[in-house]
Amino acid sequence: MLGLLLLLFLGFYAVSVAALIFLKFRWGMRVVGLAAVLILGSIAVMFAVYSAPALAKYGLSLFTTAEWDPGAERYGLLSAIVGTLISSAIAITVAMPLAVSAAVAINEFLPGQVRWVVASLLDLTAAMPTVIYGLWGRDVLGPALAAGLNALGSWLLGAEPVRTPLNLLTAGVLLAVMITPYAAAIIREGYGLIPRQIEEAIYAVGATRFEAVLIKLRYIKQYVAGGFFLALGRAMGETAAVAMVVGGNYVRLVLNPVDPGITISSLIALQFPNAANYLYMTPVLYAAALTLVLMGLVINGVALYLLYRWQV
Amino acid sequence: MNWRRVKNWLGIGAIVVLSLFAVAPVLSVVVSIYAAGAAAIASLGGLATFLTAEPPDPFATSGGVGPLLAGTLYMTALGAAAGILVGFPIGIYIGEFKRDKLSHVARGAVNMLVEFPTIAMGLFVYGMFSMVRGDVNSVLAPLSRDLSSVLGGWVTWFVGPLDFYNAYIGAAALAIVMIPYVALFTASAYASIDQPLREAAYSLSGREYKAVFTVLRKVVWRAVLASFLLGTAKIAGETAPLFFTALGNHYYAPFTGPTGAVTLWIYEAAQSSYKVQVDSAYGAAAVLLTVVLALFILAKLLGRGR
Repeated sequence: MLGLLLLLFLGFYAVSVAALIFLKFRWGMRVVGLAAVLILGSIAVMFAVYSAPALAKYGLSLFTTAEWDPGAERYGLLSAIVGTLISSAIAITVAMPLAVSAAVAINEFLPGQVRWVVASLLDLTAAMPTVIYGLWGRDVLGPALAAGLNALGSWLLGAEPVRTPLNLLTAGVLLAVMITPYAAAIIREGYGLIPRQIEEAIYAVGATRFEAVLIKLRYIKQYVAGGFFLALGRAMGETAAVAMVVGGNYVRLVLNPVDPGITISSLIALQFPNAANYLYMTPVLYAAALTLVLMGLVINGVALYLLYRWQV
Repeated sequence: MNWRRVKNWLGIGAIVVLSLFAVAPVLSVVVSIYAAGAAAIASLGGLATFLTAEPPDPFATSGGVGPLLAGTLYMTALGAAAGILVGFPIGIYIGEFKRDKLSHVARGAVNMLVEFPTIAMGLFVYGMFSMVRGDVNSVLAPLSRDLSSVLGGWVTWFVGPLDFYNAYIGAAALAIVMIPYVALFTASAYASIDQPLREAAYSLSGREYKAVFTVLRKVVWRAVLASFLLGTAKIAGETAPLFFTALGNHYYAPFTGPTGAVTLWIYEAAQSSYKVQVDSAYGAAAVLLTVVLALFILAKLLGRGR
């Protein structure tokens, strides 16, 4: 019944768009634009409805405990939430200096041909399939980070801190690589909008080029902040690459970034396939997805507010 | 004075070095994937075998990505077609009708969607489909029977009662990933049209839809086409939306059931403990990277020729 209704609705929607575009163009386009809102709304509503059983059964303790025992139907998302926060904090800390430098260097310092190459490589970084980053993170980045930290640790402390290359730190650094181009693109956009008069005024008072860069970055601070939050939102939602390098440890709370951990999205990826075997795991995982979506909405909302207010 | 000059050079140097750090990883990725991938493809039976054979089981000595490549191409083509069909008009609405109140709401929604975790799209489509599957199949089962009696049995590979996991909901999830992407690019292309050109288009083309969809489309066509290609490259490399929709499959199988994809195989095989499967993951990654690079370079050339 529901399916036929859905099919009927989709058919009606398509027909009315086609008809309205010829009859009342503006209204046709409004109906088209409404589709984006409908998709977003139905995702949010569906996640809320599907996670309702879990929220009713566990309440707030779902988010404040770290237990994961499907056999006893006891679940807690705390370790996944903390893991997401740790890995994205590492990612954004590493990514922001890189993104700001890349944006400034491309707009300001690099000579013509090199500039084009670096900008294209940055675009390619954004276009690269995430699963390929996962493969690279497992076999190149993770071992390199572990070896580097262990060498440093045994030199300074006489102990090797990293037991396995698959941990939250690797996930964070890998995420940093992946989100740098997104932050850089926003900052570049802002950098290109700095009025010529402002630039001339900066040099007129005798600033060196580096000082000029600092002043310009302060001038476009909304864009830097917007890029920060957009990149943070990306880092929190990334799935495949993170699931491949994070270590997949969902049984206890992990606070040490060089231990194997879990993030919300990788918890869903790893646990959803066998969720149907348990009564409450599917609602719990939808609750996890809802958490992820709400975190994303808040962070991206902040970012869009910053960028949008600037434009108007 | 001298200290300021030193600081200037130190600052510029740091910026240039850090910017090179930002692009170094992608070079390392491309080099390591192609180096390991080429060796893996050679050891698994050469390029022709690799592109057509089924993936290796743990004790095989040869294998490939045949069914996975077929699944990826099929789902990407369907997803890209649907994504363009829906995303392009939405983009026009956002970019061209900026004075509408609803247009601002739609822009906000699209901006949110483009940042959405892609795994959420997969969960959404899976949840939706599991609610409506029975009804959809009550339509599709007789349809497939009739069609196959007229056209032959091959139809059942494409049209038939759908399993809980199938290529079509995989394509739907990919389409939802692509819609906001295409919409945003289209919107910025339409918004960048010069005002005199826009006025000329509206005054000459008679109907409003002709002005927007025909005349103005030709103005921004290169940029929009480039965004289609970039969007297609993006969904060809997506893994997370396919986890619970296409699910993955190692054999040539009807698209109405679980369907393999190159990205799903890379994800699975990279974590395998058998060397032959890890090798095949690298080979598959090299194939996927070639597809993505080809689309990316094509899009760059289109964008440059403006």
